Amino acid sequence: MGGEVWVFVESVEGAIRKVSLELLCAADGFSKEIGGPVGAVLLGRPTDSALENLRSYADRVYLAEDERLAAYTSDGYTLALASLVRKHGPAVLLAGSTSTGRDLFPRVAVRLKTGLIPDCTGLAIGDEGRLLATRPIYGGKVFCQVSIPEASPQMATVRPNTFTLEKMNKRAEVIRDTTGLEGGEIRQKVEGVEKTTQEKVDVAEAEVVVGVGRGIRDPGNFKAVQDLADALGATIGVTRAVVDNGWWDVNDQIGKSGKNISARLYFAFGLSGAIHHVLGIQTCKTVVAVNTDTNALIFNYADYALVGDMMEVIPALKEEITKMKDEV
Amino acid sequence: MNICVLVKYVPDTEAIVRIRSDSELEIENKYFTNFFDEIAIEEAVKLKEKFGGTVTVVTVDNRRIDALRRGIAMGADHAVQISDAALEGSDSFGIARVLAAFLKKEPWDVILCGRQAMDDDAAIVGPAVAELLDLPHVSSILGLEIAEDGRSARVARQVEGGREILLCPLPAVLTTQKGLNTPRIPQVMGMMKAMKVQVRKLDLGALGVDPAEVGERGRKVRILRYLPPPKRSKAMRIEEDFPDNVRRLVRLLREEAKAL
Repeated sequence: MGGEVWVFVESVEGAIRKVSLELLCAADGFSKEIGGPVGAVLLGRPTDSALENLRSYADRVYLAEDERLAAYTSDGYTLALASLVRKHGPAVLLAGSTSTGRDLFPRVAVRLKTGLIPDCTGLAIGDEGRLLATRPIYGGKVFCQVSIPEASPQMATVRPNTFTLEKMNKRAEVIRDTTGLEGGEIRQKVEGVEKTTQEKVDVAEAEVVVGVGRGIRDPGNFKAVQDLADALGATIGVTRAVVDNGWWDVNDQIGKSGKNISARLYFAFGLSGAIHHVLGIQTCKTVVAVNTDTNALIFNYADYALVGDMMEVIPALKEEITKMKDEV
Repeated sequence: MNICVLVKYVPDTEAIVRIRSDSELEIENKYFTNFFDEIAIEEAVKLKEKFGGTVTVVTVDNRRIDALRRGIAMGADHAVQISDAALEGSDSFGIARVLAAFLKKEPWDVILCGRQAMDDDAAIVGPAVAELLDLPHVSSILGLEIAEDGRSARVARQVEGGREILLCPLPAVLTTQKGLNTPRIPQVMGMMKAMKVQVRKLDLGALGVDPAEVGERGRKVRILRYLPPPKRSKAMRIEEDFPDNVRRLVRLLREEAKAL
Protein backbone atom coordinates (compact mmCIF):
# COMPACT_ATOMS: atom_id res chain seq x y z
CA MET A 1 0.00 0.00 0.00
CA GLY A 2 2.78 2.50 0.71
CA GLY A 3 2.61 5.93 2.27
CA GLU A 4 4.29 7.77 5.09
CA VAL A 5 4.22 6.68 8.71
CA TRP A 6 3.71 9.72 10.90
CA VAL A 7 4.21 10.27 14.58
CA PHE A 8 2.60 13.23 16.30
CA VAL A 9 5.44 14.50 18.48
CA GLU A 10 4.89 16.07 21.87
CA SER A 11 7.37 18.32 23.56
CA VAL A 12 7.46 19.34 27.20
CA GLU A 13 9.27 22.52 28.15
CA GLY A 14 11.41 22.30 25.04
CA ALA A 15 12.26 18.59 25.28
CA ILE A 16 10.72 15.88 23.10
CA ARG A 17 8.58 13.47 25.10
CA LYS A 18 10.14 10.04 25.36
CA VAL A 19 7.05 8.20 24.10
CA SER A 20 7.23 10.21 20.86
CA LEU A 21 10.81 9.05 20.28
CA GLU A 22 9.84 5.45 21.13
CA LEU A 23 7.14 5.64 18.48
CA LEU A 24 9.55 7.08 15.93
CA CYS A 25 11.85 4.09 16.56
CA ALA A 26 8.92 1.72 16.01
CA ALA A 27 7.80 3.71 12.96
CA ASP A 28 11.20 3.13 11.40
CA GLY A 29 10.41 -0.60 11.32
CA PHE A 30 6.83 -0.08 10.15
CA SER A 31 7.94 2.21 7.35
CA LYS A 32 10.21 -0.50 5.96
CA GLU A 33 7.24 -2.86 5.73
CA ILE A 34 4.89 -0.27 4.31
CA GLY A 35 7.45 1.26 2.00
CA GLY A 36 7.38 4.94 2.90
CA PRO A 37 9.39 7.41 4.96
CA VAL A 38 8.89 8.27 8.64
CA GLY A 39 7.46 11.69 9.30
CA ALA A 40 7.54 13.48 12.67
CA VAL A 41 4.92 16.18 13.14
CA LEU A 42 5.79 18.94 15.53
CA LEU A 43 3.46 21.83 16.27
CA GLY A 44 4.36 25.04 18.03
CA ARG A 45 7.75 26.57 18.67
CA PRO A 46 10.40 23.94 19.38
CA THR A 47 13.84 24.86 20.69
CA ASP A 48 16.74 24.41 18.26
CA SER A 49 18.12 21.50 20.25
CA ALA A 50 14.75 19.74 20.39
CA LEU A 51 14.36 20.08 16.64
CA GLU A 52 17.92 18.87 16.06
CA ASN A 53 17.35 15.87 18.30
CA LEU A 54 14.12 15.04 16.49
CA ARG A 55 15.84 15.17 13.11
CA SER A 56 17.89 12.10 14.02
CA TYR A 57 14.71 10.05 14.55
CA ALA A 58 12.78 10.77 11.35
CA ASP A 59 13.15 11.10 7.60
CA ARG A 60 11.01 14.21 7.51
CA VAL A 61 10.02 16.65 10.23
CA TYR A 62 6.83 18.52 9.48
CA LEU A 63 6.86 21.69 11.51
CA ALA A 64 3.89 24.02 11.89
CA GLU A 65 5.34 26.98 13.72
CA ASP A 66 2.99 29.43 15.34
CA GLU A 67 2.79 31.17 18.69
CA ARG A 68 -0.84 30.06 18.92
CA LEU A 69 0.35 26.46 18.98
CA ALA A 70 2.88 27.06 21.77
CA ALA A 71 0.47 25.54 24.31
CA TYR A 72 -1.74 22.58 23.47
CA THR A 73 -5.41 23.24 22.80
CA SER A 74 -7.68 20.67 21.19
CA ASP A 75 -9.00 23.29 18.74
CA GLY A 76 -5.60 24.60 17.63
CA TYR A 77 -3.93 21.23 17.36
CA THR A 78 -6.88 19.63 15.55
CA LEU A 79 -6.80 22.41 12.95
CA ALA A 80 -3.05 22.13 12.46
CA LEU A 81 -2.75 18.35 12.43
CA ALA A 82 -5.80 17.70 10.26
CA SER A 83 -4.59 20.27 7.77
CA LEU A 84 -1.13 18.66 7.50
CA VAL A 85 -2.63 15.19 7.11
CA ARG A 86 -4.98 16.36 4.37
CA LYS A 87 -2.12 17.94 2.52
CA HIS A 88 0.40 15.09 2.72
CA GLY A 89 -1.84 12.03 3.18
CA PRO A 90 0.20 9.77 5.47
CA ALA A 91 -0.90 6.11 5.67
CA VAL A 92 -0.41 5.84 9.43
CA LEU A 93 -0.67 8.42 12.19
CA LEU A 94 0.54 7.54 15.69
CA ALA A 95 0.70 9.35 19.02
CA GLY A 96 1.51 8.49 22.59
CA SER A 97 -1.39 7.48 24.78
CA THR A 98 -0.85 10.59 26.90
CA SER A 99 -3.27 13.24 28.11
CA THR A 100 -2.64 15.14 24.87
CA GLY A 101 -2.72 12.15 22.52
CA ARG A 102 -5.95 10.84 23.98
CA ASP A 103 -7.55 14.30 23.91
CA LEU A 104 -6.50 15.19 20.38
CA PHE A 105 -6.70 12.01 18.32
CA PRO A 106 -10.44 11.24 18.63
CA ARG A 107 -11.25 14.72 17.41
CA VAL A 108 -8.79 14.53 14.52
CA ALA A 109 -10.07 11.07 13.57
CA VAL A 110 -13.63 12.34 13.29
CA ARG A 111 -12.54 15.36 11.28
CA LEU A 112 -10.60 13.13 8.88
CA LYS A 113 -13.44 10.58 8.77
CA THR A 114 -11.13 7.78 9.77
CA GLY A 115 -10.82 5.35 12.67
CA LEU A 116 -8.67 5.36 15.79
CA ILE A 117 -7.32 2.51 17.90
CA PRO A 118 -6.72 4.02 21.33
CA ASP A 119 -4.29 3.04 24.08
CA CYS A 120 -2.49 0.19 22.31
CA THR A 121 -0.02 -2.02 24.11
CA GLY A 122 1.20 -3.68 20.95
CA LEU A 123 1.46 -2.58 17.34
CA ALA A 124 2.68 -4.26 14.18
CA ILE A 125 2.06 -4.19 10.46
CA GLY A 126 -0.28 -6.93 9.26
CA ASP A 127 -1.53 -8.01 5.86
CA GLU A 128 -1.76 -5.40 3.13
CA GLY A 129 0.37 -3.05 5.17
CA ARG A 130 -2.36 -2.26 7.66
CA LEU A 131 -1.83 -1.69 11.36
CA LEU A 132 -2.39 -4.67 13.59
CA ALA A 133 -2.91 -3.39 17.10
CA THR A 134 -3.34 -5.07 20.45
CA ARG A 135 -5.13 -3.28 23.23
CA PRO A 136 -6.59 -4.16 26.60
CA ILE A 137 -10.32 -3.91 27.20
CA TYR A 138 -12.39 -4.42 30.35
CA GLY A 139 -9.47 -2.90 32.18
CA GLY A 140 -7.10 -5.54 30.85
CA LYS A 141 -9.08 -8.67 31.70
CA VAL A 142 -9.13 -9.33 27.98
CA PHE A 143 -6.98 -8.04 25.15
CA CYS A 144 -8.15 -7.67 21.58
CA GLN A 145 -6.46 -7.49 18.24
CA VAL A 146 -7.89 -4.75 16.08
CA SER A 147 -7.37 -3.04 12.77
CA ILE A 148 -8.79 -0.24 10.69
CA PRO A 149 -9.54 -2.13 7.47
CA GLU A 150 -10.63 0.66 5.17
CA ALA A 151 -10.23 4.21 6.41
CA SER A 152 -7.08 6.29 6.09
CA PRO A 153 -4.93 7.39 7.74
CA GLN A 154 -4.91 4.56 10.25
CA MET A 155 -4.66 6.22 13.62
CA ALA A 156 -3.55 4.79 16.95
CA THR A 157 -2.37 5.99 20.34
CA VAL A 158 0.21 3.81 22.03
CA ARG A 159 1.14 3.46 25.70
CA PRO A 160 4.52 4.76 26.80
CA ASN A 161 7.23 2.07 27.16
CA THR A 162 5.58 -0.19 24.57
CA PHE A 163 8.58 0.21 22.29
CA THR A 164 12.25 0.50 23.15
CA LEU A 165 13.95 3.81 22.66
CA GLU A 166 17.13 3.45 20.64
CA LYS A 167 19.55 6.01 19.42
CA MET A 168 19.03 6.79 15.74
CA ASN A 169 21.17 8.68 13.28
CA LYS A 170 18.83 9.98 10.62
CA ARG A 171 19.07 13.48 9.21
CA ALA A 172 15.49 14.50 8.56
CA GLU A 173 14.75 17.36 6.26
CA VAL A 174 12.62 19.95 8.03
CA ILE A 175 9.49 20.89 6.16
CA ARG A 176 8.08 24.12 7.52
CA ASP A 177 4.45 23.99 6.62
CA THR A 178 1.16 25.80 7.00
CA THR A 179 -0.49 25.81 10.39
CA GLY A 180 -4.04 25.28 9.16
CA LEU A 181 -5.17 27.92 11.66
CA GLU A 182 -6.48 30.23 8.96
CA GLY A 183 -10.23 30.13 8.87
CA GLY A 184 -10.43 28.26 12.17
CA GLU A 185 -10.84 29.39 15.72
CA ILE A 186 -9.04 28.39 18.91
CA ARG A 187 -11.74 28.60 21.51
CA GLN A 188 -9.82 27.37 24.57
CA LYS A 189 -7.27 29.65 26.24
CA VAL A 190 -4.55 28.09 28.35
CA GLU A 191 -3.76 30.01 31.54
CA GLY A 192 -1.00 27.75 32.80
CA VAL A 193 -0.11 24.49 34.46
CA GLU A 194 -0.16 23.89 38.20
CA LYS A 195 2.33 21.21 39.11
CA THR A 196 0.66 18.99 41.65
CA THR A 197 3.10 16.18 42.00
CA GLN A 198 6.65 15.13 41.50
CA GLU A 199 9.13 16.82 39.23
CA LYS A 200 10.02 13.43 37.79
CA VAL A 201 8.42 11.86 34.73
CA ASP A 202 4.74 11.06 34.95
CA VAL A 203 3.86 7.72 36.49
CA ALA A 204 2.27 6.55 33.21
CA GLU A 205 5.54 7.14 31.38
CA ALA A 206 8.07 6.20 34.04
CA GLU A 207 10.41 3.27 33.44
CA VAL A 208 10.66 2.53 37.14
CA VAL A 209 7.71 3.05 39.48
CA VAL A 210 7.56 2.68 43.23
CA GLY A 211 3.95 1.82 44.04
CA VAL A 212 2.57 2.37 47.50
CA GLY A 213 -0.63 1.12 49.10
CA ARG A 214 -2.43 1.46 52.38
CA GLY A 215 0.51 -0.27 54.10
CA ILE A 216 2.22 3.12 54.20
CA ARG A 217 -0.05 3.79 57.22
CA ASP A 218 0.84 7.46 57.53
CA PRO A 219 1.50 10.08 54.87
CA GLY A 220 4.60 11.13 56.83
CA ASN A 221 6.19 7.86 55.72
CA PHE A 222 6.33 9.02 52.11
CA LYS A 223 9.71 10.64 52.89
CA ALA A 224 11.35 7.19 52.97
CA VAL A 225 9.51 6.18 49.78
CA GLN A 226 10.72 9.32 48.05
CA ASP A 227 14.32 8.57 49.11
CA LEU A 228 14.06 5.12 47.53
CA ALA A 229 12.42 6.54 44.40
CA ASP A 230 15.26 9.06 44.12
CA ALA A 231 17.87 6.33 44.45
CA LEU A 232 16.12 4.34 41.72
CA GLY A 233 15.37 7.31 39.47
CA ALA A 234 11.76 6.24 39.87
CA THR A 235 8.36 7.88 40.05
CA ILE A 236 5.96 7.22 42.93
CA GLY A 237 2.57 5.76 42.15
CA VAL A 238 -0.21 5.03 44.62
CA THR A 239 -3.35 2.96 45.01
CA ARG A 240 -6.91 4.21 45.15
CA ALA A 241 -7.00 3.80 48.95
CA VAL A 242 -4.04 6.13 49.38
CA VAL A 243 -5.71 8.79 47.20
CA ASP A 244 -9.10 8.36 48.86
CA ASN A 245 -7.44 8.85 52.27
CA GLY A 246 -6.12 12.17 51.01
CA TRP A 247 -2.48 11.07 51.40
CA TRP A 248 -1.34 11.63 47.81
CA ASP A 249 -2.53 13.35 44.62
CA VAL A 250 -4.91 11.57 42.24
CA ASN A 251 -2.53 12.34 39.37
CA ASP A 252 -0.31 9.44 40.45
CA GLN A 253 -3.07 6.91 41.08
CA ILE A 254 -2.50 3.59 39.35
CA GLY A 255 -5.44 1.38 38.41
CA LYS A 256 -8.85 1.28 36.87
CA SER A 257 -9.90 4.78 37.88
CA GLY A 258 -6.37 6.11 37.68
CA LYS A 259 -3.57 5.47 35.20
CA ASN A 260 -2.27 2.38 33.47
CA ILE A 261 1.45 1.99 33.74
CA SER A 262 3.91 0.02 31.61
CA ALA A 263 7.03 0.34 33.73
CA ARG A 264 10.13 -1.74 33.10
CA LEU A 265 10.32 -2.29 36.87
CA TYR A 266 7.45 -1.90 39.30
CA PHE A 267 7.65 -2.17 43.09
CA ALA A 268 4.35 -2.85 44.83
CA PHE A 269 4.75 -1.94 48.49
CA GLY A 270 2.08 -2.61 51.08
CA LEU A 271 -0.74 -3.04 48.64
CA SER A 272 -3.05 -6.02 48.62
CA GLY A 273 -3.45 -6.42 44.88
CA ALA A 274 -7.12 -5.50 44.45
CA ILE A 275 -8.31 -6.08 40.89
CA HIS A 276 -8.69 -2.31 40.56
CA HIS A 277 -4.94 -1.85 40.98
CA VAL A 278 -3.72 -4.99 39.24
CA LEU A 279 -5.52 -4.01 36.02
CA GLY A 280 -3.35 -0.91 35.87
CA ILE A 281 0.01 -2.71 36.13
CA GLN A 282 -0.54 -5.56 33.71
CA THR A 283 1.89 -4.43 31.08
CA CYS A 284 4.74 -3.80 33.52
CA LYS A 285 7.75 -5.96 32.72
CA THR A 286 9.14 -6.92 36.13
CA VAL A 287 6.95 -6.68 39.23
CA VAL A 288 8.30 -6.88 42.78
CA ALA A 289 5.76 -7.20 45.59
CA VAL A 290 6.48 -6.56 49.24
CA ASN A 291 3.75 -7.29 51.75
CA THR A 292 3.43 -8.51 55.33
CA ASP A 293 0.53 -10.77 54.36
CA THR A 294 1.86 -14.06 52.95
CA ASN A 295 -1.41 -14.56 51.08
CA ALA A 296 -1.69 -11.07 49.58
CA LEU A 297 -3.21 -11.25 46.10
CA ILE A 298 -0.46 -9.06 44.70
CA PHE A 299 1.96 -11.98 45.00
CA ASN A 300 -0.02 -13.71 42.22
CA TYR A 301 0.86 -10.88 39.86
CA ALA A 302 4.49 -10.46 40.88
CA ASP A 303 7.74 -11.85 39.53
CA TYR A 304 9.45 -11.49 42.90
CA ALA A 305 7.57 -11.84 46.18
CA LEU A 306 9.04 -10.70 49.45
CA VAL A 307 7.10 -11.11 52.68
CA GLY A 308 8.03 -8.22 54.90
CA ASP A 309 7.12 -4.83 56.29
CA MET A 310 7.48 -2.16 53.65
CA MET A 311 8.64 0.38 56.22
CA GLU A 312 11.53 -1.91 57.11
CA VAL A 313 12.28 -3.01 53.55
CA ILE A 314 12.19 0.40 51.87
CA PRO A 315 15.12 2.05 53.71
CA ALA A 316 17.17 -1.16 53.46
CA LEU A 317 16.46 -1.40 49.77
CA LYS A 318 17.47 2.21 49.28
CA GLU A 319 20.75 1.54 51.04
CA GLU A 320 21.48 -1.58 48.97
CA ILE A 321 20.75 0.22 45.73
CA THR A 322 22.91 3.18 46.65
CA LYS A 323 25.72 0.78 47.58
CA MET A 324 25.31 -1.07 44.30
CA LYS A 325 25.48 2.16 42.34
CA ASP A 326 28.62 3.25 44.18
CA GLU A 327 30.26 -0.02 43.23
CA VAL A 328 29.53 0.38 39.55
CA MET B 1 -28.75 26.01 32.69
CA ASN B 2 -29.43 23.07 30.40
CA ILE B 3 -27.09 20.20 31.10
CA CYS B 4 -26.88 16.86 29.35
CA VAL B 5 -24.91 13.92 30.72
CA LEU B 6 -23.92 10.98 28.53
CA VAL B 7 -23.99 7.79 30.58
CA LYS B 8 -23.22 4.11 30.12
CA TYR B 9 -23.90 0.99 32.15
CA VAL B 10 -20.80 -1.19 32.10
CA PRO B 11 -19.51 -4.43 33.62
CA ASP B 12 -18.34 -3.91 37.19
CA THR B 13 -14.57 -3.86 37.78
CA GLU B 14 -15.01 -7.11 39.74
CA ALA B 15 -17.05 -8.85 37.01
CA ILE B 16 -15.49 -11.92 35.44
CA VAL B 17 -14.87 -11.56 31.71
CA ARG B 18 -13.99 -14.73 29.80
CA ILE B 19 -13.13 -15.41 26.20
CA ARG B 20 -15.61 -17.84 24.68
CA SER B 21 -14.17 -17.76 21.18
CA ASP B 22 -12.15 -15.47 18.92
CA SER B 23 -15.17 -13.29 18.50
CA GLU B 24 -17.20 -13.80 21.63
CA LEU B 25 -16.88 -12.87 25.29
CA GLU B 26 -18.73 -14.14 28.31
CA ILE B 27 -19.36 -11.36 30.80
CA GLU B 28 -20.63 -11.96 34.31
CA ASN B 29 -23.93 -10.23 34.91
CA LYS B 30 -22.54 -7.69 37.34
CA TYR B 31 -22.91 -4.16 36.05
CA PHE B 32 -22.68 -0.63 37.38
CA THR B 33 -22.95 2.93 36.13
CA ASN B 34 -19.60 3.86 34.64
CA PHE B 35 -17.54 5.31 37.50
CA PHE B 36 -16.49 8.40 35.53
CA ASP B 37 -20.08 9.01 34.38
CA GLU B 38 -21.23 9.18 38.00
CA ILE B 39 -18.73 12.00 38.48
CA ALA B 40 -20.30 13.70 35.45
CA ILE B 41 -23.81 13.26 36.87
CA GLU B 42 -22.70 14.66 40.23
CA GLU B 43 -21.17 17.71 38.55
CA ALA B 44 -24.32 18.30 36.51
CA VAL B 45 -26.54 18.13 39.58
CA LYS B 46 -24.24 20.54 41.43
CA LEU B 47 -24.43 22.98 38.52
CA LYS B 48 -28.21 22.71 38.52
CA GLU B 49 -28.27 23.42 42.25
CA LYS B 50 -26.21 26.55 41.67
CA PHE B 51 -27.59 27.88 38.39
CA GLY B 52 -31.03 26.29 38.16
CA GLY B 53 -32.19 24.59 34.96
CA THR B 54 -32.44 20.90 34.19
CA VAL B 55 -30.24 17.84 33.93
CA THR B 56 -30.92 15.22 31.27
CA VAL B 57 -29.18 11.85 31.26
CA VAL B 58 -28.93 9.99 27.97
CA THR B 59 -27.67 6.53 27.12
CA VAL B 60 -27.24 4.55 23.92
CA ASP B 61 -28.19 1.03 24.93
CA ASN B 62 -30.69 -1.47 23.59
CA ARG B 63 -31.14 -3.29 26.88
CA ARG B 64 -30.12 -1.53 30.03
CA ILE B 65 -31.45 1.72 31.42
CA ASP B 66 -30.00 1.35 34.93
CA ALA B 67 -27.48 4.14 34.36
CA LEU B 68 -30.44 6.44 33.57
CA ARG B 69 -32.13 5.39 36.80
CA ARG B 70 -28.92 6.07 38.69
CA GLY B 71 -28.83 9.55 37.14
CA ILE B 72 -32.42 10.27 38.16
CA ALA B 73 -31.79 8.93 41.66
CA MET B 74 -28.83 11.29 41.97
CA GLY B 75 -30.93 14.29 40.93
CA ALA B 76 -31.26 14.39 37.14
CA ASP B 77 -34.66 15.46 35.79
CA HIS B 78 -35.02 13.68 32.48
CA ALA B 79 -33.88 10.36 31.07
CA VAL B 80 -33.47 9.43 27.41
CA GLN B 81 -32.71 5.99 26.01
CA ILE B 82 -31.54 5.69 22.44
CA SER B 83 -32.05 2.14 21.22
CA ASP B 84 -32.29 0.52 17.83
CA ALA B 85 -31.50 -2.96 16.54
CA ALA B 86 -29.19 -1.37 13.97
CA LEU B 87 -26.94 -0.12 16.80
CA GLU B 88 -25.64 -3.61 17.66
CA GLY B 89 -21.89 -3.79 17.17
CA SER B 90 -21.33 -0.02 16.93
CA ASP B 91 -17.87 1.32 17.69
CA SER B 92 -17.18 4.54 19.62
CA PHE B 93 -17.53 6.61 16.44
CA GLY B 94 -20.97 5.15 15.71
CA ILE B 95 -22.13 5.84 19.27
CA ALA B 96 -20.78 9.39 19.07
CA ARG B 97 -22.69 9.92 15.82
CA VAL B 98 -25.97 8.88 17.45
CA LEU B 99 -25.38 11.01 20.54
CA ALA B 100 -24.48 14.02 18.41
CA ALA B 101 -27.70 13.60 16.42
CA PHE B 102 -29.66 13.66 19.67
CA LEU B 103 -27.76 16.59 21.17
CA LYS B 104 -28.22 18.64 18.01
CA LYS B 105 -31.96 18.69 18.54
CA GLU B 106 -31.86 20.90 21.62
CA PRO B 107 -29.56 23.69 22.84
CA TRP B 108 -27.31 22.65 25.75
CA ASP B 109 -25.09 24.84 27.90
CA VAL B 110 -22.87 22.01 29.08
CA ILE B 111 -22.48 18.41 27.91
CA LEU B 112 -20.72 16.17 30.40
CA CYS B 113 -19.55 12.57 30.24
CA GLY B 114 -16.99 10.36 31.93
CA ARG B 115 -13.44 10.51 30.59
CA GLN B 116 -13.81 6.93 29.38
CA ALA B 117 -16.13 3.95 29.72
CA MET B 118 -14.72 1.17 31.85
CA ASP B 119 -15.55 -1.55 29.32
CA ASP B 120 -13.87 -0.46 26.08
CA ASP B 121 -11.61 2.13 27.79
CA ALA B 122 -11.58 4.03 24.50
CA ALA B 123 -12.08 7.64 25.71
CA ILE B 124 -13.28 8.54 22.22
CA VAL B 125 -16.97 9.41 22.59
CA GLY B 126 -16.61 12.77 24.39
CA PRO B 127 -14.17 14.47 22.01
CA ALA B 128 -15.85 12.81 18.99
CA VAL B 129 -19.27 14.19 19.98
CA ALA B 130 -17.73 17.65 20.40
CA GLU B 131 -16.20 17.47 16.94
CA LEU B 132 -19.46 16.33 15.35
CA LEU B 133 -21.29 19.23 17.00
CA ASP B 134 -18.48 21.71 16.32
CA LEU B 135 -18.24 22.48 20.03
CA PRO B 136 -15.03 22.95 22.01
CA HIS B 137 -14.10 20.14 24.38
CA VAL B 138 -11.81 19.61 27.32
CA SER B 139 -11.15 16.09 28.56
CA SER B 140 -10.22 14.62 31.95
CA ILE B 141 -11.32 17.63 33.95
CA LEU B 142 -10.47 17.88 37.65
CA GLY B 143 -11.99 21.29 38.26
CA LEU B 144 -14.84 23.34 36.81
CA GLU B 145 -15.97 26.88 37.58
CA ILE B 146 -18.69 28.34 35.41
CA ALA B 147 -18.85 32.14 35.05
CA GLU B 148 -21.87 33.87 36.59
CA ASP B 149 -23.29 34.61 33.15
CA GLY B 150 -23.02 30.92 32.26
CA ARG B 151 -21.19 31.62 29.03
CA SER B 152 -17.71 30.39 29.81
CA ALA B 153 -15.92 27.99 32.12
CA ARG B 154 -12.59 27.89 33.87
CA VAL B 155 -11.48 24.30 33.72
CA ALA B 156 -8.64 22.28 35.23
CA ARG B 157 -7.58 19.38 33.07
CA GLN B 158 -5.37 16.50 34.14
CA VAL B 159 -2.01 16.53 32.40
CA GLU B 160 1.23 14.69 33.14
CA GLY B 161 2.54 15.87 36.49
CA GLY B 162 -0.17 18.37 37.23
CA ARG B 163 -3.27 20.19 36.14
CA GLU B 164 -3.63 22.63 33.31
CA ILE B 165 -5.95 25.57 33.78
CA LEU B 166 -7.82 26.85 30.76
CA LEU B 167 -10.75 28.98 29.80
CA CYS B 168 -13.36 27.54 27.49
CA PRO B 169 -16.50 29.14 26.10
CA LEU B 170 -19.82 27.36 26.60
CA PRO B 171 -21.51 25.33 25.29
CA ALA B 172 -18.76 22.74 25.45
CA VAL B 173 -18.24 19.03 25.98
CA LEU B 174 -16.33 18.24 29.16
CA THR B 175 -15.18 14.77 30.15
CA THR B 176 -14.83 14.13 33.85
CA GLN B 177 -11.99 12.57 35.81
CA LYS B 178 -11.68 11.33 39.37
CA GLY B 179 -10.86 14.25 41.64
CA LEU B 180 -13.54 16.57 40.24
CA ASN B 181 -16.02 15.61 42.97
CA THR B 182 -17.29 12.71 45.03
CA PRO B 183 -20.54 11.36 43.60
CA ARG B 184 -23.40 11.43 46.07
CA ILE B 185 -25.13 8.27 47.26
CA PRO B 186 -28.77 8.49 46.16
CA GLN B 187 -31.32 8.98 48.93
CA VAL B 188 -34.54 6.99 49.28
CA MET B 189 -36.62 9.72 47.67
CA GLY B 190 -34.32 9.75 44.68
CA MET B 191 -34.49 5.98 44.35
CA MET B 192 -38.29 6.12 44.40
CA LYS B 193 -38.27 8.79 41.71
CA ALA B 194 -35.90 6.67 39.65
CA MET B 195 -38.19 3.66 39.82
CA LYS B 196 -41.07 5.68 38.45
CA VAL B 197 -39.21 7.73 35.88
CA GLN B 198 -40.62 8.02 32.40
CA VAL B 199 -37.77 7.16 30.07
CA ARG B 200 -38.07 8.85 26.71
CA LYS B 201 -37.21 6.36 23.98
CA LEU B 202 -35.70 7.32 20.66
CA ASP B 203 -34.59 5.24 17.71
CA LEU B 204 -32.38 6.03 14.75
CA GLY B 205 -35.37 7.10 12.65
CA ALA B 206 -36.38 9.70 15.21
CA LEU B 207 -32.83 11.05 15.19
CA GLY B 208 -32.44 10.99 11.43
CA VAL B 209 -29.34 8.76 11.60
CA ASP B 210 -28.60 6.48 8.66
CA PRO B 211 -28.38 2.90 10.02
CA ALA B 212 -25.43 2.28 7.66
CA GLU B 213 -23.36 4.77 9.69
CA VAL B 214 -23.63 2.75 12.89
CA GLY B 215 -23.57 -0.91 13.96
CA GLU B 216 -21.24 -3.45 12.40
CA ARG B 217 -21.51 -1.84 8.97
CA GLY B 218 -20.47 1.57 10.24
CA ARG B 219 -17.44 0.37 12.17
CA LYS B 220 -14.15 2.05 11.41
CA VAL B 221 -12.28 -0.18 13.83
CA ARG B 222 -12.65 -3.96 13.56
CA ILE B 223 -12.02 -6.41 16.36
CA LEU B 224 -10.21 -9.34 14.74
CA ARG B 225 -10.04 -11.52 17.81
CA TYR B 226 -9.97 -11.57 21.59
CA LEU B 227 -6.82 -12.65 23.36
CA PRO B 228 -6.08 -13.59 26.96
CA PRO B 229 -3.96 -11.07 28.87
CA PRO B 230 -0.22 -11.75 28.89
CA LYS B 231 0.58 -14.36 31.54
CA ARG B 232 3.13 -13.73 34.23
CA SER B 233 5.04 -16.75 35.48
CA LYS B 234 4.72 -17.71 39.12
CA ALA B 235 6.47 -15.33 41.49
CA MET B 236 9.82 -16.26 42.96
CA ARG B 237 9.44 -16.19 46.74
CA ILE B 238 12.31 -14.61 48.60
CA GLU B 239 12.29 -16.44 51.92
CA GLU B 240 15.41 -15.21 53.69
CA ASP B 241 15.17 -13.20 56.90
CA PHE B 242 15.53 -9.42 56.88
CA PRO B 243 17.87 -7.90 55.75
CA ASP B 244 19.25 -10.84 53.73
CA ASN B 245 16.00 -10.92 51.74
CA VAL B 246 16.57 -7.34 50.58
CA ARG B 247 20.13 -8.13 49.49
CA ARG B 248 18.96 -11.17 47.57
CA LEU B 249 16.19 -9.17 45.91
CA VAL B 250 18.63 -6.55 44.70
CA ARG B 251 20.96 -9.25 43.39
CA LEU B 252 18.10 -10.97 41.54
CA LEU B 253 16.87 -7.73 40.06
CA ARG B 254 20.33 -6.93 38.84
CA GLU B 255 21.55 -10.30 37.64
CA GLU B 256 18.44 -12.25 36.73
CA ALA B 257 15.83 -9.67 35.71
CA LYS B 258 18.46 -7.18 34.51
CA ALA B 259 16.12 -4.50 35.80
CA LEU B 260 18.60 -2.44 37.84
